[in-house]
Amino acid sequence: MPKVKFSVMDRLVDVEVPEGTTLLDAASDADLHINSICGGEGICGKCKVKVEEGDVRAGSTTTLSREEIKSGYTLACQTFIQGDVKVRLPPESAAGQGKILVDEDAQRFKALTSVGVGSSVSYEPLIEKHYLDIPEPSLKDNLSDHRRIYRELRRKKDIPIMQTGLKVFKRSSSLLRENDWKITATLGRRGDTTEVIQLEGGDTSDTNYGVAVDIGTTTVVAHLVDLVSSETIDAEAKYNSQMKYGEEITRRIHHVEEEGREDLQDTIAEDINDLIYVLVDRKGVNLKDLTSIMCSGNTAMMHFLLGLEASNIRKKPYVPNTTRPPPIRAAEVGIKINPRGLLYFMPAIGGWVGGDVTSGVLSTGIHKSEKLSMLTDIGTNGEILIGNKDWMMSCAASAGPAFEGSGIRSGMRASKGAIDKVEITDDQLMYSVIGSTKPKGICGSGFIDLVASLFEGGYVNRSGKLVPENSDRIQQEDGELKIVMVESSETKGTGELAVYQSEIKNLINAKAAIYAGARILMKSLELELEDLDRLLIAGGFGSYLDREKAKTLGLIPDIPSDKVKFVGNTSIIGAKMSLLSQQAYDQSHEISESVTYYDLIDYPDYFEEFTAAKFLPHTDLSQFSSVAVKNREGD
Amino acid sequence: MQIPDVKSEWDNEISTVKIGATEKEGGTRSANISVGGETTLPFLHFEGSTPHRPVLAMEVWDIPPDSWPPVAREQIEGVMEDPVEWAQKCEEEFEPDLVCLKLKGCDPFGQDKSPEEAAKLVEKVIEATSIPLIVWGCGDDDKDNEVFTLVSPAAAGENCLLGTITEDNYRTLAALSKADGHKIVAESPVDINMAKQVNTLALDIGFELENLVIFPNSPALGYGIEYVYSIMERTRLAGLKGDRLMAQPILANIGGEVWGTKEAKIPEEEKPEWGDHRKRGPMWEATTAFTYLQSGADIVVMRHPESIKATKLMIERLMEGRGE
Repeated sequence: MPKVKFSVMDRLVDVEVPEGTTLLDAASDADLHINSICGGEGICGKCKVKVEEGDVRAGSTTTLSREEIKSGYTLACQTFIQGDVKVRLPPESAAGQGKILVDEDAQRFKALTSVGVGSSVSYEPLIEKHYLDIPEPSLKDNLSDHRRIYRELRRKKDIPIMQTGLKVFKRSSSLLRENDWKITATLGRRGDTTEVIQLEGGDTSDTNYGVAVDIGTTTVVAHLVDLVSSETIDAEAKYNSQMKYGEEITRRIHHVEEEGREDLQDTIAEDINDLIYVLVDRKGVNLKDLTSIMCSGNTAMMHFLLGLEASNIRKKPYVPNTTRPPPIRAAEVGIKINPRGLLYFMPAIGGWVGGDVTSGVLSTGIHKSEKLSMLTDIGTNGEILIGNKDWMMSCAASAGPAFEGSGIRSGMRASKGAIDKVEITDDQLMYSVIGSTKPKGICGSGFIDLVASLFEGGYVNRSGKLVPENSDRIQQEDGELKIVMVESSETKGTGELAVYQSEIKNLINAKAAIYAGARILMKSLELELEDLDRLLIAGGFGSYLDREKAKTLGLIPDIPSDKVKFVGNTSIIGAKMSLLSQQAYDQSHEISESVTYYDLIDYPDYFEEFTAAKFLPHTDLSQFSSVAVKNREGD
Repeated sequence: MQIPDVKSEWDNEISTVKIGATEKEGGTRSANISVGGETTLPFLHFEGSTPHRPVLAMEVWDIPPDSWPPVAREQIEGVMEDPVEWAQKCEEEFEPDLVCLKLKGCDPFGQDKSPEEAAKLVEKVIEATSIPLIVWGCGDDDKDNEVFTLVSPAAAGENCLLGTITEDNYRTLAALSKADGHKIVAESPVDINMAKQVNTLALDIGFELENLVIFPNSPALGYGIEYVYSIMERTRLAGLKGDRLMAQPILANIGGEVWGTKEAKIPEEEKPEWGDHRKRGPMWEATTAFTYLQSGADIVVMRHPESIKATKLMIERLMEGRGE
């Protein structure tokens, strides 16, 4: 039987099918989903795939363009397998139903459009389109085409410095005349200069899109933003494929040192392209209307994408090449949006505190508030910031990918089929699954819930060790203890879902790193918990994290719950604010300059604080009196 | 010149741990000993009380101690093949406060002696001696759990000190000790937080902290002693300041550490400039012991009769200020 090799993003799936099977059926045999709304009649054209190698017989291809056919695209439902083939499926075949709350974020953001209200910022995208109805030249008004366009633009807007590439004004004379002097100019902000990045015939000013990307060490999230209405219209996420070069940043930097910068740069550019592709495809947006991309991420991620020298970040005194790279043409780093579209980065704070924290401050308004806030970004590279409008200080604490469902055998991203909440009552383990289906795995918030519940129920001790005496679910496998969450008959074909002792230990190490970081920052500032007016928890799982459980674990400090607020993925919210508001973008630069970066690596008691936090909830129970009281009651 | 009053007031008292049971108490020891109970730092009699002087235990092995250097071994020439006679000789000739029986022979990677053999030996040692007893496992978690399952009931009523529990292995020994009325040694790897964590784990499964001593490990002079010195001192300070989880007597187990160093082992013939090794070895052990006594140790486990003698003398002198 012919062998079919499907590749979906970074995954490879093999399947053997009888000769004459359609690619659509073969994919379904391999449990891969290909869009098709006509039921395999060759009409809808949704099942477009690319045959990279091998022998197929293709039927109707009416919905494909000639270029597509030439480069190997075919319709899966109309293509019959003759021999071994290699087929690439579109990225959406890999993606589950994303859990990102597009609407919530969009609503949060709508407030922004109300110009200059309160702490908000004014609407003025970094890249904006202006429709120009330009007076025709005459003997009396004989300015050059180039200056004529500038004059018209300046009538609309105060633009001190403007520049245009040769490529653009070369075409402008014919464009103006062909379109009866009615054109749309796309302006892009580059420092203090405004660039006319493209000219189009007619009025296209109502179609202008941008993408905000949160480049996390473990997860990459992209939001598609309509720059005209300032609404977030779609979102997508995937794991960062750079993980194959190491889960930790330092390992990836090491890879760069050994093998060069290309691997990491190509991988992240490819991930971003995959996400963009899914978004524009799903929303029917033309790539040329995608004029800007704003990336927010830790400093190393910025270096990787831009192909900058990253090795000094991991060496004392941890100096990055840059914290605020200038906008560049996205195409220069292989990102596929409008070929003249611009790529921006949220400015970083230091070698280990990146633009994601700047975004966090920008979006939560810490820099404008009288209140003393602590912002904790719970992710692979955790960051903690304390401050208010007068001062801000931050540090980084490497936690590993446990919070994002990675590095766990049954782990997955928070998407359809992920267990996101766990509760244990009367020895019964109960859970909820995203998308209300059978579970496929457990995501970060579910994992945190699970370990906290296990601790509350006495199934793990304070060291995070499973106690086999207390449950039949705790079993030995290859010399390691595990707890079975879901029997294989209850899962969606993934086999039994279990969490292993070493994975629980990883989560405890992760929470200890974050807590120790927060504690040292507090100690260095001679602050007590009572001094904090609010604790803002940022991170991918947003409001899905259970406050009390997070305290039970000792992940967040024991402060009254009404002071704890979940602020979601602030990295991407800040990036979107900056895309939509030049004022916000300028503020982000002020923020990045005013935050003091505090390096934990050289703090003498770091290791001790870390060890003290590697206990549930903490070795020093007086720091967690509310949790301690609760435990006692449970005894 | 007026010397300022530097007395500190401490909130808490270190718990008192009694080891050994007399006939009246259901055992067979001629007397029991108590450690702990301090309300001040070591030997600061002007500030608080030190109701019980620190005590010294002498090591006895269940197998001939081939790894000991000759200077340490020659003291027990003739008895080291027989742990019962060895223990007897210790008690009669060297007069330590306790015997510390180490079940080295149970090590599965060594002689792999059976739990039954170990239990029988413990019974015999109890019979042959009258001072309180410490019984120390071989260090292999699974084997120690099997061994203590028989050893602990075999010594039931004698109120021994059994060791050790660690973060990874504490349930079995803690449960046995509770059932058979023994005390336990809680071991942690040179880390103040982990010392507290082991205590908390024991407490969580219902073992009273009043029946436990802290063993933070105790390297020899010149091999990281200053590190543990500060850990012991901080442990004691935390205990005195009111941290109930750190307010236990502290044990230092220095024999194996000291007699593994080149300073204690190398004979004069090899290093003439280091002087007489017969004096140097015991001095190294005694100096290590003094140091830990100063940082808060209540029990020191040692090997050489001379160093035990010197340390005892030192303790007596330091304790003379009592009651002032």
